[in-house]
Amino acid sequence: MYAQASNDRLTKWLMGAILVAAYAFLYMPIIHILFASMSSRPNFPYPPEFDFGSYIRLYTNTVYQSAFLNSLIIATCTSLLSTVLGFLATVGVLRFAGRKALVYAAFFAGPLFVSEILLGISSMSLYYLAFELQGNMVTAIIANSVHCFSFCFLIMAALLYRYDWRMNEAAVVCGASPIRAFFEVMLPLTWSGILSSLIVAFVLSLNGLDISFYLLGATPTMPSVAWGALRYGVKPELYALSSIINILVFAAIAGLYFVARSDRNQPAE
Amino acid sequence: MADPDNRWNRRLFLHLPAIFLVLFFVLPLMALVILSFWQTENYKIVREWSALNYVTLATESAYFVFFVRSLFLAIGVSIFSVAVSWPIAFFIVRHGGRYKLILSLLLAVPFLSGEVLRLIALQGMLGPTGLVNGVLLKLGSAPLRFIMYSNWATFIALVYLYLPMVVTTVYLSLLNFDFRLTSAASSCGANRFQVFCEIVWPLNLSGTIVGFLLCFIPTLSASLAPRFLGGPSGTLYGMSIAQQFGESGTWALGAAMGVVLFLFSIAVLGVFSLGINLRRTGFTGMGRQ
Repeated sequence: MYAQASNDRLTKWLMGAILVAAYAFLYMPIIHILFASMSSRPNFPYPPEFDFGSYIRLYTNTVYQSAFLNSLIIATCTSLLSTVLGFLATVGVLRFAGRKALVYAAFFAGPLFVSEILLGISSMSLYYLAFELQGNMVTAIIANSVHCFSFCFLIMAALLYRYDWRMNEAAVVCGASPIRAFFEVMLPLTWSGILSSLIVAFVLSLNGLDISFYLLGATPTMPSVAWGALRYGVKPELYALSSIINILVFAAIAGLYFVARSDRNQPAE
Repeated sequence: MADPDNRWNRRLFLHLPAIFLVLFFVLPLMALVILSFWQTENYKIVREWSALNYVTLATESAYFVFFVRSLFLAIGVSIFSVAVSWPIAFFIVRHGGRYKLILSLLLAVPFLSGEVLRLIALQGMLGPTGLVNGVLLKLGSAPLRFIMYSNWATFIALVYLYLPMVVTTVYLSLLNFDFRLTSAASSCGANRFQVFCEIVWPLNLSGTIVGFLLCFIPTLSASLAPRFLGGPSGTLYGMSIAQQFGESGTWALGAAMGVVLFLFSIAVLGVFSLGINLRRTGFTGMGRQ
């Protein structure tokens, strides 16, 4: 009995050690470039300094400004489009698909299993062959939405499967239109899933290079400008850009955390 | 189904997203297949049907080498990631307590910050003037050569890129797993090894396979990591595709390479999906209905 218990503790500590090592592995580069972006010696910024020169140079660089604007437009439209479609698909699979639910679910998760580069080059081929189009913002948004759609679908499906559909029916029976039932009954109860999906799609399409790269041609986006700058060697400005994005992502995830926590504190359905 | 209301609902909720996917996901893949049977000359597409691109792929040994190298790397990275993910996910589910949510969300930060930015960060770690070698030099030792511009660097980068995805998938699977089954098995006399091999592992195999595939598929077509970290003998298949569509302008050949990659991925998916029970993955949350 004693051996068993100490064995258990050993396994627990071992797993905990692997967890700590993995998180350190994942976060060390992020923290390293945060220090590097604020240091006059970016290669080995220890002890850390706090010099914001590279942030100011980044702020005044017009190339990054227009790239950031383009990325922002793509990310906003993509997150809206893929979340709306993902929501329809989620409701469809959970409520109306009947015995075909698994078939539809597998199809809707399909883009997850096709790599981004394939999605990019195949969309580019289609637009080029069919319309002689070189690619523009609209095609980039659509192709990004295909990729993000699967993520949105899975996130909302995971959070909506507990939803009690009788609430909508009750609202309709009491005289609400289906749209009013959605806004006044369903949305207040499921907003955490919808918001998570919006955030994830936004961040994914903001930072994705492969899809936008093949569909935009010469229009700069933030990842493509960063990628172009990489070829000429890493500069502190890139570290600064990267750190800003990491902080934004971190804030978004913190937002998700509070959303999920407040959701859990609500009385159980 | 005769209910007209229900039919309209199905149209809106199921068929609209499905049509979207057919138009912008299935149709492009078909365009890729068509393009792969055409030719490119002097950066222009010549619409003549032939299987010349596939002949080039089959006879030119370089492409075969790229593919095999990608395949071995993808298998190695995926197996390593799954092996590391299990203890992490298990620890979070069993011992995470009220920190479960924080621990699982913390995995998403490195995942969501984008491939390019993460590669920049990795370059800061692994490059010739990066942190690892900087520390080694400070300590007076020689820099590690194998971690910069080599297949090892690509391996580390790909694990870094896709480990969060695998951990999350295994975590979701374990989260939906009913751990009372393990107590039941122990009280029936199974030892811990048996409990794991006969209860925990088989019942979470579906989720593990999905995690493996979500790492394997993108790794197989990785194009950015090897270009940036792989060095001279590190050309991978996905990187080669990107070059056909970029510098060398041989779109049709690139399309053929893409079709080969796609068919191979589909074959792998097909073989593995025999072992997948979607209800058990914890992925769609449909397990407990």
